[in-house]
Amino acid sequence: MPESLERYRLPAEVQERLEELEELSEKAEEGDKEALRELKRAVRESAPAVIARASDVSRRAQHMLIETASGGSKLTQYALSGRLDVMREEIAGDNPTPLEVLLTEQVVSSWLWLTLLDALNSGQFWKGADKAVRVSPSYLRHMVRIQESAHRRFISSIQALARVRKLQAGTPGIQFNTRINLR
Amino acid sequence: MAWETRNGRSYYYRSVRCGDEVHKVYGGSGELARIAHERDVISRAAEEHRRQEERRELERLEALCAPVLELSEAAEILTRAHLIARGFRRHKGEWRRARIA
Repeated sequence: MPESLERYRLPAEVQERLEELEELSEKAEEGDKEALRELKRAVRESAPAVIARASDVSRRAQHMLIETASGGSKLTQYALSGRLDVMREEIAGDNPTPLEVLLTEQVVSSWLWLTLLDALNSGQFWKGADKAVRVSPSYLRHMVRIQESAHRRFISSIQALARVRKLQAGTPGIQFNTRINLR
Repeated sequence: MAWETRNGRSYYYRSVRCGDEVHKVYGGSGELARIAHERDVISRAAEEHRRQEERRELERLEALCAPVLELSEAAEILTRAHLIARGFRRHKGEWRRARIA
């Protein structure tokens, strides 16, 4: 990992808190009551800070993706930034909880990553593309695999936000139908 | 790509893959074979260069994607911790409110 990308990663102390939360969640799910008490305390005390740091890193990572997608065009950078702001507002809604804010950032980041891959790959499938800029079939296969995985992640990020909202609000079940067409 | 010498004369052969098998194809001898050999060396170097470029590009994409993946993992862990702490449990992959004993 290049040093310049380090600031787009979660800091070590945040990683540690996440590992602690993961461990406690596992134990609590297995029925450990002490772990459940400890998890409630950790969620109350340390999770808000972890969520805030993760959201912050996410914003910085989005900025890096925007710079890449824009290819140096300031106009495209502003347009994409504005688009993400609108998305955030629409998705997060009024008075979102910190967790909803983080999940919104996840949806927005996944969308941006998927859009970047779509743009990169679509040029390769265009009939009029110059042969000199065409990549090898093996490279294209890799790219399509990455794109499919990004698509799945985007869908699951939306599902996660919808699930949290549904469970927090105590509303009746929502059915998710996802269809991915591969040609 | 190889040169074979017989009776003091050099002959150029190319290795060509056909499915699982590799065939030796005669490429000539003398000056024409030397030119064909040089052309093969250049095109092989160009192919290797292209492969390296593609590998570098894929590594760059993976590095770009890493923060998105990390955020997804963090969001998953935090969501699960929040839901369990709020009294939900997973049943066959579906989250439900746990019964209060």
